[in-house]
Amino acid sequence: MELKELSKRLEEVYRKIKAELNWEPVGPTPMPELSDLRNWDMRLLKTYKPFYAPFCDMCCICTFGKCDLTEHRRGACGIDIATQQARLVLLACLIGCSCHTGHAAHILDYLIEKYGPDKKIDLGEGVAVEAPHIRTVLGMKPETLGDLKVAIEYIYKELTHLLSSVHTGQEGSYLDYESKALHAGMLDHVGMEVAELAQISGFNYPTSVAETPLVDLGWNAFDKTKPIILFIGHNPATSTAVVDYLRESGLYDKVEFGGICCTALETARYSDRAKVVGPLSRQLFFVRSGIADVIMTDEQCIRTDITQEAAKVGSALIATLEKAMYGLEDATNMDTDEIVRKMVDEKKQFVILNPRKAAEVAVKVAMEIAPKRRKEWITEEEAKELAKKCSLCGLCEQVCPNLFNIGKGISEVAKGNFDTIRDIFNLCIGCGKCEEECPRNVPIFKIMQQAASKEVWKIRAGRGPIMDTEIRNVGAPITLGTIPGVIALVGCSSYPDHRDLAEVVEEFAKRKYIVVLSGCAGMVAGMWKDADGKTIYEKYPGNFDAGCVVNVGSCVANSHITGAAIKIANIFAALPLRANYEVMADYVLNRVGAVGVAWGPYSQKAAAIATGCNRLGIPVVVGPIASKYRRLYLSRKEEDDWRVMDARKKQIVDTGEPSPEHLIYVCETKEKLMVTLAKLCIRKNDTPQGRAIKLNHYISLYKKYMGGGLPEDLHLYVRRDADIPLVYKKEVKAYLDSIGWKPKEPVGLPTWIGTYPTKVPVDAVIR
Amino acid sequence: MSQLSPIIPYHRVNTLTGTRTARTLEDPKDIVRQIKKAKRPLFVLGPIATKVSLGDKLLIEYCIDIAKAGNIPICATATTKAKLLEYGVKPDSVYDTVEIINALKDPEWKGVKGEGNHDLVIFLGIRSDLANQGLSTLKHFAPHLSTLTLCKYYHPHADYSLPNIFKDEKWKAILDGVIENLKSEQQ
Repeated sequence: MELKELSKRLEEVYRKIKAELNWEPVGPTPMPELSDLRNWDMRLLKTYKPFYAPFCDMCCICTFGKCDLTEHRRGACGIDIATQQARLVLLACLIGCSCHTGHAAHILDYLIEKYGPDKKIDLGEGVAVEAPHIRTVLGMKPETLGDLKVAIEYIYKELTHLLSSVHTGQEGSYLDYESKALHAGMLDHVGMEVAELAQISGFNYPTSVAETPLVDLGWNAFDKTKPIILFIGHNPATSTAVVDYLRESGLYDKVEFGGICCTALETARYSDRAKVVGPLSRQLFFVRSGIADVIMTDEQCIRTDITQEAAKVGSALIATLEKAMYGLEDATNMDTDEIVRKMVDEKKQFVILNPRKAAEVAVKVAMEIAPKRRKEWITEEEAKELAKKCSLCGLCEQVCPNLFNIGKGISEVAKGNFDTIRDIFNLCIGCGKCEEECPRNVPIFKIMQQAASKEVWKIRAGRGPIMDTEIRNVGAPITLGTIPGVIALVGCSSYPDHRDLAEVVEEFAKRKYIVVLSGCAGMVAGMWKDADGKTIYEKYPGNFDAGCVVNVGSCVANSHITGAAIKIANIFAALPLRANYEVMADYVLNRVGAVGVAWGPYSQKAAAIATGCNRLGIPVVVGPIASKYRRLYLSRKEEDDWRVMDARKKQIVDTGEPSPEHLIYVCETKEKLMVTLAKLCIRKNDTPQGRAIKLNHYISLYKKYMGGGLPEDLHLYVRRDADIPLVYKKEVKAYLDSIGWKPKEPVGLPTWIGTYPTKVPVDAVIR
Repeated sequence: MSQLSPIIPYHRVNTLTGTRTARTLEDPKDIVRQIKKAKRPLFVLGPIATKVSLGDKLLIEYCIDIAKAGNIPICATATTKAKLLEYGVKPDSVYDTVEIINALKDPEWKGVKGEGNHDLVIFLGIRSDLANQGLSTLKHFAPHLSTLTLCKYYHPHADYSLPNIFKDEKWKAILDGVIENLKSEQQ
């Protein structure tokens, strides 16, 4: 009976993925369900064990509780503290995955309505492997927008099962919850890829080109003499409609438009006149400046008090997506002129779910109210006067997530010194708790207008997928180690210091790593200029090669980064990817020296992205604030299982080499981050030449940022003399001799296939 | 061991927001008593100790004095190793914060000296958000050891913590007192 049911299920899956199209043989896991990749997950979790840091001692989800889970107590349902943490991590990943998939589904429906389901997916001549995630996970090669619906429906189904598992009295193992979180993470990358394929094809975003336009970046980028429309969120349906409307109505150069967060990046891919104000941390700050005439919200990362904030400064507001309607009246079916009149005369805010109508209303309202808007930031004298109200009570510091002494900065402003508040501004995550708490109502954010840089920077518009030709060029040097690694800086903007990112980019691009960026990280890294006045996007080339700096685009464009890793296995190593997730992930983990950095993550989307990277074998380093995500995947380098199968000899070899050492890891400082990134690019597949290059960077970064001799774990990464970088030969040899180091056997083709129960034969990793 | 939260609601199941919270210590003699009770203490130093000045010294100098006076091995996290070496102190181990916590939660771990896991871990100089999460890990998953924080602000997830201290002079006096008391115990 089981076999019969299985074959029925497979029959259904084969029909959905058009298995009869013989572009590659269908691998072992088409459209995997919750348990299909569980053995792979358990192998990952054996070496990279979950590390839990509970954010809360309690479980407050059901009416059995509240349940205290301290001192090995179990909840009334039987759950323990570790399983509860894993359950919450799964929930976070599901929220994140739902957001990306919801975005993808909305944009897909919007574009299908506009162009029909048969519109071809077209990523240009440079991209033949258009959908590495969909091909690998589902086993399907999508050709039209309609095909992408199959991926969406698959994710919906899996999400439902995953979400049901967090119900009281379901899963009881933290390891199985982690496996489910890894599943959700994998789905997240599929969802992001759907969004990207639809957007690029539907909006004609740049693709198959490296050098995309440079667009203005910074909160002072707007020409304040013109009407200004600000987009906040992560969905370009309405922002692109605004651009279309402006073009059609002859107003394209008469109205300023741009955004905060990913809609800004998406709009910049559609029009190089779009301005990128900045990341999430600048949202409240910019909104409170009152410079925007009209604010249009779509979805995700929007302040939930945006209606009140907009009203306070006289900005008009239109909510354009049903996921965030703020209790406003739905004016989608109201007459356009009537909406405009009510917004201008009565200061009403509306929901308008038709992008075209929302665009027309926004432009008309902006044109009408802009002449009445104050067009300059407050003056230095005004800031000084406002700052005099501060009594240095210290309440602002107590509510600041980073414990900054904001009162000190404000009191210095009162004396005419803006340096301290400028420094704080650069560290500020923009939550606004300080101003809310101030008993004297000091307008801290307004005062910061004077301290903040008026600089306008440049950011390269997101370029989308990495081209197949680029993958062919870098595949060998990456897997051999002669390109020392791929560093991907992604995610939100709650950094310890926003200047860190540009320094990381600069350090690794100069060292000829491949550096890629996306989302808020892509913006923040651009907010810095060198002595010649150039940003990283003007200094470094945008082609995916050694020493590049590539901005792929918004959050959903992260799928291109992980997709590139899959494409190395598929295009360069010629391993079939179709429904062959384990082989792809195993290849990436053991042979592709790539590492992700989410230095300031705050969102559940970041949790999903990182967990998806982890299932695919890509380690991720997060900033200290991310310890609040509750869970890491850590090894203990000298005690964990570092055995791999040597696929050439068909023998299991104990390498003793912790590469990569962790799957998700918190670094406390920028200095430690620099060193950790170099180390996490080391792979067992490195040739002696490649390993020597990687160790050269590891040692030199350690000496530059950490000081104090050689890295303590260096001996674990030196296999033979030939691995030792020439420039440090003497020093390293002396150290190795002093600890009794012995050379180790090299591993031909390192793989985990064959070291755990799997349907995949070892030969599947050899080509 | 840490104490119960000072006010425990009668109907815990409905209103409780956590039961275990750090016991505050601010008398240097009490702090030293806890340190001296330990057989294998460990001092974990964070990078803030290399940046913050207290009186006319860097915070890390107080840490070094405490470690020396109490004969406590040091674990250097992040960038603290280089600073310690500047002061002529070689740390007994170098781990990052999450790595040392990951090792400490294993009761079978041999400790930084290979003599067995530590029974008291003292923390100073780690960012409050990261420290709070790390202490939570140890509170829940390392019942075999106690934690003590000497940071300026209260850490509820520790077993023993200084209270919130709003004046640097008071913090300095406590740290100086700990050093003096450890020295006199040594003699």
